[in-house]
Amino acid sequence: MAVQRVVGTVATFRVNPITETAPSDQELIARTLGGDGSAFAILVERFQRKIYRVAYAIVRDDTEADTITQDTFIQAYTHLARFQGRSELETWLTRIAINRSRDWLRRRKFVSLFSRDDDSEDREYVIEPVDDRPDAERQLMSHQLRAAILRAERTLSSQQKIIFRLRHYENHSLEEIAELLGLRSGTVRAHLFRAIHKVRKELAEWVTMREVSDETL
Amino acid sequence: MKHYNEADLLETYYTQPGDSMPVMMHLASCSECAARYERLEKKLREAAVCNTEKPATFWTRQRLQIMRRVDAQNAFAKSAARTLRVAAAAILSFFLGGAVVYETVKPAQRQPVPVVHVAPVTTAAPAPVLASDIHDAWQSDELKDFHNVVEWESWVPDNKTKVNRGSSL
Repeated sequence: MAVQRVVGTVATFRVNPITETAPSDQELIARTLGGDGSAFAILVERFQRKIYRVAYAIVRDDTEADTITQDTFIQAYTHLARFQGRSELETWLTRIAINRSRDWLRRRKFVSLFSRDDDSEDREYVIEPVDDRPDAERQLMSHQLRAAILRAERTLSSQQKIIFRLRHYENHSLEEIAELLGLRSGTVRAHLFRAIHKVRKELAEWVTMREVSDETL
Repeated sequence: MKHYNEADLLETYYTQPGDSMPVMMHLASCSECAARYERLEKKLREAAVCNTEKPATFWTRQRLQIMRRVDAQNAFAKSAARTLRVAAAAILSFFLGGAVVYETVKPAQRQPVPVVHVAPVTTAAPAPVLASDIHDAWQSDELKDFHNVVEWESWVPDNKTKVNRGSSL
């Protein structure tokens, strides 16, 4: 007689590992549209730094960058239902921020026609050395270059300024800038070339002056 | 060998490597230009540094402000929708009430106005002017009292008399 030994069965439970993955943008958008305010707060927390940085790169003003960041999120919240997800939420938000920054640049240009207080870009910026070496001369050069670039930027149109600043400060590629501005890559390249030529003309004096001293560094 | 100055390299820095291939190829072979480009790159990178690093309190405050504005917007949207509903209900009730009142105190249907046939006015032909109707104004009753006064002038011939009469009056 064959004895069937029942050893026993081990009950197996499929345990889903608790994953602490952050909810996706789409999920948060859906929750926001469903009336969950905290979901939108998570989206704000996720992208506010990036949006602030882009706004600051264009307007070069702390307070305005803060205001533009807030306005960007409010506008995004208002029109969130229209977001179709054809691009990333980050790209969409960045586009809104760029448009708002462009509006601000135009408004300021218009205001500056009637006031003589247009030297807001001449403010002295805090010099941030990239390394720890206390090198006074290098800091001074960096400071001079920064001031020269700011002066040169004044001759640029709003579009050229935005493209140049996104390239210079944010280090975006031309393709990224084209996508953010809704332009063709060739158009962005043409704008950037024109901007660089203007900047180069403005920096010519600085460049020749620096060339001599650089050789010594 | 042609070397590039900082102005040329500036363009190379901002554009993409593919856009300035000859410069990039030269930089690969020329250590002098490569070093110059490296220095320029470093300077521009330093110049482009944005101090967007803020304390956590800055981001928290910004987030709170955004959420406060979102809440305010929601509240406004709700109140606007409620106001709109109330206004729509008020307009509807006004028109419905008006219709009811109109039906209640509907004015009696007017009787048809009798048509009055008016005889066409015929314009009579002007009566022929008789010679007796033409009278001299000088012979009128109002001036009769003055006949004695001016009688002494009666010897003056007719055409002159008329002039004198006119002037004396």
